[in-house]
Amino acid sequence: MVLVLVEHDGPEVDELSLQALALARELATGEPVTALLVGGGGREAAAALAAHGVGTAHIAEDERLTEYAPGAWATSVIELVDRLEPSAVVAAGTNRGNEVLGHVAARMDQPFAANCIQVAGEGPLEVTRMRWGGSLLEEARLHGDPALLSVAPHAVAALAVDGADAPAIEAFTPTLDDADLLVQVAEHVSTETSGVSLAEAKVIVSGGRGVGSAEGFGILEELAGLLGGAVGCSRVVTSSGWRPHTDQVGQTGTKVSPDLYIACGISGATQHIAGCKGAKKILAINSDAEAPIMASADYAVIGDLTEVVPAVTAELRKAGGP
Amino acid sequence: MLGAIALTAALAVSGFLFGRRAKLLADLVRLGKPAERSDDLPRRTRNEAVIVLGQRKLLQRLVPGLIHAAIFWGFLVLFPTILIAMIGAVDRDATLPWLGHAGWYALMVDLFAVLVLGGVVGAVLIRKVQRPARFEGSHLGEADLILGLIAGIVSTLLLWHATRIALDLNEWPAEWSPVSNALSGLFGNDSVTEVFERVFVWAHVLIILSFLAYLPHSKHLHIVTAAVNVFFGHTRPGGRLEPLRFDVADAEMRFGAGTVPDLTWKQTMDTFSCTECGRCQDVCPAFNTGKELSPKLLIMALRDQVFADGPKLVRGEAGFEPQPLVPGAVTDDVVWDCVTCGACVRECPVSIEHVDHIIDLRRHLVMVDSRFPAEAEPMLRDVERASNPWGRPQTERADWAERLGVRVLEPGDPPPDVLYWVGCAASFDERARTAAESTAKLLAAAGVDFAILGPRESCTGDPARRMGNEYLFQSYAEQNVKTLNDAGVTKVVASCPHCFNTIGNEYPDFGGDYEVIHHTELLAGLVREGRLQPNAAEGRITYHDSCYLARHNDVLSDPRELVAAVGEPIEMERSGKRTFCCGAGGAHMWMEERAGKINEERVREAAETGAETLAVACPFCTVMLDDGVRQRGDELRVVDVSTLLAEALM
Amino acid sequence: MRILVCVKRVPLTGGRMVLTDDERALETRHLGFTISPHEECGVEQAVRLVEQHGGDVTVLTLGPAEAEEQIRDSLAIGGDRGIVLVTGGEEWDPQATTGAILDAIEAERASGGAHDLIIFGNESADSGNYQVGIRVARALGLPVVTGLKGLSVEDGFARCEQEVPGGRDVYRVPLPAVVSVLEGINLPRYPSVPAKLRARQKPVETSTPERPEARLEMVRLRVPPGQGKQAEILGNGPEAAPAVVDVMRGLGVA
Repeated sequence: MVLVLVEHDGPEVDELSLQALALARELATGEPVTALLVGGGGREAAAALAAHGVGTAHIAEDERLTEYAPGAWATSVIELVDRLEPSAVVAAGTNRGNEVLGHVAARMDQPFAANCIQVAGEGPLEVTRMRWGGSLLEEARLHGDPALLSVAPHAVAALAVDGADAPAIEAFTPTLDDADLLVQVAEHVSTETSGVSLAEAKVIVSGGRGVGSAEGFGILEELAGLLGGAVGCSRVVTSSGWRPHTDQVGQTGTKVSPDLYIACGISGATQHIAGCKGAKKILAINSDAEAPIMASADYAVIGDLTEVVPAVTAELRKAGGP
Repeated sequence: MLGAIALTAALAVSGFLFGRRAKLLADLVRLGKPAERSDDLPRRTRNEAVIVLGQRKLLQRLVPGLIHAAIFWGFLVLFPTILIAMIGAVDRDATLPWLGHAGWYALMVDLFAVLVLGGVVGAVLIRKVQRPARFEGSHLGEADLILGLIAGIVSTLLLWHATRIALDLNEWPAEWSPVSNALSGLFGNDSVTEVFERVFVWAHVLIILSFLAYLPHSKHLHIVTAAVNVFFGHTRPGGRLEPLRFDVADAEMRFGAGTVPDLTWKQTMDTFSCTECGRCQDVCPAFNTGKELSPKLLIMALRDQVFADGPKLVRGEAGFEPQPLVPGAVTDDVVWDCVTCGACVRECPVSIEHVDHIIDLRRHLVMVDSRFPAEAEPMLRDVERASNPWGRPQTERADWAERLGVRVLEPGDPPPDVLYWVGCAASFDERARTAAESTAKLLAAAGVDFAILGPRESCTGDPARRMGNEYLFQSYAEQNVKTLNDAGVTKVVASCPHCFNTIGNEYPDFGGDYEVIHHTELLAGLVREGRLQPNAAEGRITYHDSCYLARHNDVLSDPRELVAAVGEPIEMERSGKRTFCCGAGGAHMWMEERAGKINEERVREAAETGAETLAVACPFCTVMLDDGVRQRGDELRVVDVSTLLAEALM
Repeated sequence: MRILVCVKRVPLTGGRMVLTDDERALETRHLGFTISPHEECGVEQAVRLVEQHGGDVTVLTLGPAEAEEQIRDSLAIGGDRGIVLVTGGEEWDPQATTGAILDAIEAERASGGAHDLIIFGNESADSGNYQVGIRVARALGLPVVTGLKGLSVEDGFARCEQEVPGGRDVYRVPLPAVVSVLEGINLPRYPSVPAKLRARQKPVETSTPERPEARLEMVRLRVPPGQGKQAEILGNGPEAAPAVVDVMRGLGVA
């Protein structure tokens, strides 16, 4: 049986956890999987899991679990693992998913394969996982029991199944000690963000070395504004001090998954592609027809971005706006 | 008797004041760090003759040059009259042996005195009527005073001679001193004139002696320092920078110029030689596009700092901390605005080497303070870690060559006749790449045995060196020299003038001695030999000289031969060694331009010729001028000479 | 404060991934190398903390002998001493890496005392396993906070900040502790040449740990199929604008 750690925000299940469930179902060869939800709102969230092949949802409840604490989450997982003896534990490859399974792996002295896109076989599990943010793949054998793995975001599609019964719900209170709660979110600080965040934007207009200067981003901001999107940039832009690191898209920046990613004057180093390949479509605007990005883009315009970008903005405005 | 005492007293006072100041100046120069300037004595002597005596650099601007030459040559001829006057001041009837009695000398004196006065009048007309922009920022009052003193010296001399003629004291026929003779008509042979004779000679002597005392406090100091500065000027090609030594003890290591004590003695001498003429300012591309940098103001500011900090250092004042030159004497912008085009150095009549100052200031800012424009940091990191300023993997360097079947030299292969050094720009920038593709096709068509190094070709280090990161540059110089030497390369052709300059002029300092030519030189040779036969076409082409090719390295005629072979050449006004920079030099390819656009200014000039094609011979010029054309919207095709040639073969 | 920073030497891959013939490694001939980006920021953060609070920074790496280059670069940023755990350049899985690091930490404790703070990069640019820092912390019985964009120390506590949608989550953890940081927590300084020259003289110890059996056993690497796409050219220059807008309409973003 396969146990899946499902992340949720109140009653809403995280999209990436739904994707993880799809991979878990493959692993379980079509059998229902067991879910674990931690923290408040678990019961409501669990109800939505029927369509994703969950047979039983275990809810870890304790008022000390309101704020995220990786150690406490890991304890919840381990308790359930001891009780249910799954062959594998799966989580989404989010910051929290990887962190919690990292803790579980450390405490159980088991190997953990992060960011997998494919799994097959049994004992030992054959996994295909992401290296270099996804620009390279590793085929590996996971010599562990249970097999611990996380699922790379957007590598697998979430599968909704019609007409399935609601999962059985079992609540439990994990035995937490002080050490489990030593590392816990103590404070939330809100920062004012003007505009759409990179992580949520449906369209991102991104600039690289070719933009030339901080001021050069003006035309990208205009286009992004018109489309209700966000402005991103490559690493050389941040290193040059033209834009803050929060705008950086890439393996070491933000990984984005918009409907359309427009890469202006970006050569296409794998480091950057790792951050934007989650996009449904990539459009490259570059004066170099041989730039590496052409091998990762769906569409391209060969030309000077300082001419092309304003032209697109003008074309959009002409037809009465988006 | 009284006269002798008076003269002695005056000489003593003037001499003391002059000497005391001269000693300070000498001490300040001695404070400077070492600079190796004793090589090639024959050339140095020749420079002295041509530049100082012959006034060649001054004559690069004909009218002001002639005016100055008049005053200078006049000064040389009139020099003995100082002694004659001093002797005559003491004893009315005594004079200098031989010269003092020579009528021909008297004639020369009269004529040159008028020449000097003519020069002074010319100078006054320029300064007061024409008012050229190059004097902006110069101390004009001081210049006026000096011109006044010169005029005073010469006129008192003529008037003295006039009174002597009126008193019949002349030893030669009065007509031999035509001007003095004409003036003598103002005076009768009487006791009043006798008084005037004394007055004029003493006025003459006293003006000279006060000038002497004033000299080392003013920019007129150049009459001493210029001659010395020219002698110790660079004899090696203008594009070569002086290396720093990192293989010495920590205490001896010099990281460029951070404070006055870091300056070399030549740099201090430079600041003492400046006459504030502003010719450098006039041709500076930065200054002429509204930026803060003026080479003249830079040298003046450094001079002021030398005088502010220097004396305390000479005295050894305890606990004195000299001020950082940046931002104390000059701002960061001034240091970074420079494109190292060398136009200033070419103009300077007293061999000031402004680019050396800028580079030394940059070296300290980059290597010690880590204080430089943020947008250049990725470039420096990329050169260091990825071996090229584009930060692209070296494995992709030969991609363009693979498509053309160009031979890549592997370790152990026998060396080709000529190694084509492609450069990072042509390897990674699509606009620069066409020149490499054209060059490769042309060399193949002409049957030249050549190869490229491909991934083993690292950045020559030029951008790092021009930024001031000498340490990083040297590591690449050593690495590339080793690669070339191990491969047995003896001849290198480069299509980038910066690579050409660095490998040809700077790598010999690191054990790399090759015959290095620019691709236009090689291609022109092939055309002359008939191995390439272009069809001449119509179409007016204006050729833009790259600074690193024309001004720093005298490659002027070969590219022009190629242009003439493929079209109708039309020259811009600022061409040849007077070329105006495209704006990419001095690592500016990777830095933003604050205020004004050098490339657009150059494109304006090109567009005004009416040509349809703007021919270049450098990848940086290609990109900068193409950007300029797009920004301005001109109908101008920017293209490398090699591509024009390749097209003309079809 | 005694701080230990763990770094890894990674290649600068550029636009393409090329494998060796046996498909078990990247072909790194002619590639440049660097400190993995998150970790370089970790070194900078450590140096800043020590500049503020006093103490020293030790930088450690597990890698081939050439990784000393990355240690020297870290020492130029301001580290005081280095440790290279030399491998033959082969793969070490996260548990093997953890074991070697723990042995080194134990040796450090014996000679100079325990560390107040151990800093890792959140994940290495190449293998991206996200777990070595957590494993080391667990084995040492220390608290661990990952994915930091902010880190400061006050009164024996580490104030740790993570970026989350809408703002930042803050953790306050008593020292000694382990943290992993993300690029963007700071901008690493550009070391001066005197600092680089001094770094050449700073002490670097080397040792050769033994590699245990891999439990996450790499079988082979492969380049994902997405690469080698050919972008559909919508046009050249500004005339392509209408075609671009059509695509946007088709995707429902305009």
